[in-house]
Amino acid sequence: MVNRRGFLAGLLASGLVPVSTWADVGSPSFLAAARLPDDRFALCGIDAAGMILFHIPIPARGHAAAAHPVRAEAVAFARRPGTFASIINCASGEETARLASPKGRHFYGHGAFSSDGETLFTTENDYEAGQGRIGVWDATQGYARIAEFASGGIGPHEVRLLPDSDALVVANGGIDTHPDSGRTKLNLSTMHPNLSYLDFSGTLLDQVDLPDDLRSNSIRHLDVSHDGQVAIGMQWQRDRSSSPALVGLHNRGDAVDLMKAPLNLHRQAFGYVGSIAFSGNGKQLAVTCPRGGCVQVFDAVTCEFVGGHGSPDASGITGFGDGFIVSSGTGILRTIGEGDTMSVNHPLEWDNHLVRL
Amino acid sequence: MLRMLVILILLAPWPANASDKYAMIKTIVRDHILDGFNLLASETHVLKQAADANCSADSAELRAAWHQAFDAWISVSHLRFGPSETNDRAFALAFWPDPRGTTPRSLQSLIDDQDAIVNSLAEFSDVSIAARGFYALEFLLYDPRISTLGDATYRCKLVQIIAADIDANAHAILTDWIDSYAAELRDPGDIYRSEDEALQELFKALTAGLQFTSDTRLGRPMGSAERPRPKRAEAWRSGRSRHNVAVSLTALEDLAIMLSAPTPELSTLFATGFDKSLKKAAQLDDPVFANVATPVGRFRVEALQQSINDIRALAASDLGPTLGVAAGFNALDGD
Repeated sequence: MVNRRGFLAGLLASGLVPVSTWADVGSPSFLAAARLPDDRFALCGIDAAGMILFHIPIPARGHAAAAHPVRAEAVAFARRPGTFASIINCASGEETARLASPKGRHFYGHGAFSSDGETLFTTENDYEAGQGRIGVWDATQGYARIAEFASGGIGPHEVRLLPDSDALVVANGGIDTHPDSGRTKLNLSTMHPNLSYLDFSGTLLDQVDLPDDLRSNSIRHLDVSHDGQVAIGMQWQRDRSSSPALVGLHNRGDAVDLMKAPLNLHRQAFGYVGSIAFSGNGKQLAVTCPRGGCVQVFDAVTCEFVGGHGSPDASGITGFGDGFIVSSGTGILRTIGEGDTMSVNHPLEWDNHLVRL
Repeated sequence: MLRMLVILILLAPWPANASDKYAMIKTIVRDHILDGFNLLASETHVLKQAADANCSADSAELRAAWHQAFDAWISVSHLRFGPSETNDRAFALAFWPDPRGTTPRSLQSLIDDQDAIVNSLAEFSDVSIAARGFYALEFLLYDPRISTLGDATYRCKLVQIIAADIDANAHAILTDWIDSYAAELRDPGDIYRSEDEALQELFKALTAGLQFTSDTRLGRPMGSAERPRPKRAEAWRSGRSRHNVAVSLTALEDLAIMLSAPTPELSTLFATGFDKSLKKAAQLDDPVFANVATPVGRFRVEALQQSINDIRALAASDLGPTLGVAAGFNALDGD
C-alpha cells in the first residue's frame, strides 16, 4: 500500500501519467477535487480502499461533482463563481468534454442528474438579476443546454434529486454575490434562505424556510435519504453572540427539525458546516466542520447528538457502509463509524466535497 | 529571504501566555475599539447638530460634518461583531454595496409619499435600512436627482431624521460597548470562552475588513476587464471612493500592529505592507476610480488591490497561526 501510494504521489507530482493507463484499475467509488502539491488543481477518482485511481487536471479550483446514474460518467464543477464543468469518463479517467455556463451565469459548484440520466441540472447565478437559476442540460445530446428555470431563491448551492420522483430539492442559500466583487456577500442584512422543491419544468412544488430569527442561517448543503428525507447543513452569517443550530432534517409538508451538539461541541463548529451526509445505512447523519476541525454525528430518527470526531480541516463527507467516509484538506481520507477501519493519507489537499459514484 | 527568516521565527511557539493575551485584548478594546466608537459618537452628534442647524444639501457645515462622521464610521466598520450587529445597527449605518439600487428607490418612495414616519425617531428605525445611514444621506446631499426631488421641506425633515438616526445608532453601539461588550471581549465568559476566542474574533475583523476593501471597495468598480463599472465605486457621488480605502487601511493597520505586537518582526512586515498600499492609494490620481475604464487606470487600481491581497496573505499565513486560527484549505474556504 505504502509503496503504491508513494508511487502515485510521485506520478501526481510529476504530472507525467498518461491517464488512459488507469483504465484497467477498476471503477472509482468516489470523486473529489483537490489541490496538488505544486498548486495545480485536479479531480481524482478514488476506489473503495481510498486509493487514487486517476486524476484529471482542471484549470481552477473544483468543488463538487454529479455522478451519472447509468453510464460510468460524472460531471465535476468549478468552485463558484466558476464557469466550467468537466465531463469525465470514470472508466478511463479521461475528460471527454467541458461545459461552459451561459453568458451572464456562473456555476455554484453542484449539480444533479435525473434518475434516467438523460438530464443534468446545475445550480447557477443570474448575477445581474441576483436570482438563482437551475440550468438544464441534455445528457443524451452531448450536454446541450436546453432550458433553465428559477431556483426559488437567491444563491442556490447544492441540488439533489428526490428518490422515485422527477423532482429536485435545492438549497437556496440566500446570499447574493456578483463575480465582479469576488465572493463578497452583498445582501447579508436582507438575506432569506429557503429549501425549494421543484419539478423538472421548474414548477415550485414546496418551499420551506427557517424561523425568522434564523434568516441569517444560510442553507447550503444537502443530502437525501432513500426515503426522501432531506438533511440540510447551514452556515451562520452573524456573529458568535448567538450560535443557532447548523443541522436540520426535513420531511415534505413538515417544518424543519433542527439539531445541535451540546453547547461546547456545537461552538466548535464556528457557525459553519462544510458538507452533510446520511450514513450508508441511513440511520445517522453527519456534518463536517472544517473551521473547528471536527465531524459531528446525529441520529437521523431522534435528531439526538451521537458523537464528535476530531478531524482537522475535514470537509468532504459521504455515506459509506454503516457509517461515513470523510476527506480533509490535510490529505486524509478516513472512515467514521463501524470501527473506523480506514485512514489513508495522500500528499494533496482534498477540496470541499466527496461524491459517491 | 527576510520573509523566510520571519517564517522560521514564527514557527517557534508564540511566547505569549494567557496574561499577555489578556493585556493585548485590553489594549485593543481601549485604544482601537472604544476610542473608535467614542469618536464615531461624537462626530455623529456634530452631524445631527449640523443637520438641525441647516438641512440644505449645499450647506458646507452639514457636508463637512457628514464627511467627518463618515470617516469615523469607516474607521470602525470592520468591527462587525457584538453591539454593531445588535438590531442590525451597522447595516442601518451603512447599507452598501447596494447592487439593486434600493437606497435611491427607498428614498424616492418616502419623498413621493411624504411619509410621516420622518416625524418620529422611534418610528424611523422601522424604515428600510436602505433609506438610513451614511449612504442614504449621501444621496440627499450629493445626488443631483434625489437632492432636489419633491418637496424641500419634506427633504429637510428626511435629512434631519437620518442624521438623528445615525447619531442614535452610534450612541447605542458605544453604550453597549461601554456597559457590557468591552468586558465580554476582555474577560472569558459565555460569548468568548478564552482569550484565544476573543483574539480570533479580532483577527476575523482584520481579515474581513481587508477583504471588504479589496474585493468590494476596489473590486466592484473594477468589474471585469471587458466591462469596468466605475459607477459602482463606493460613495463616488461625494468623491470619497479612494478616501474610504485609505481610511479603512489606516484603521486596519492599527489593528494589525496591535495583534502582531508580540512578534515585532511581523509588526514590521505589516507596517511595510500597509505603507505600500497607502502610498499606492495616495498616488492614484483618481478619487472616484473613474479611470478603471482605461487600461492604465485599471492597472493602477489592480496594483493597489494586489498590495492589499499581499497583506491578507500575510495575515493568513503568519498572524492567524499565532492566534490559533485554523488556516486549512477548507477552513478558509467559506463555501
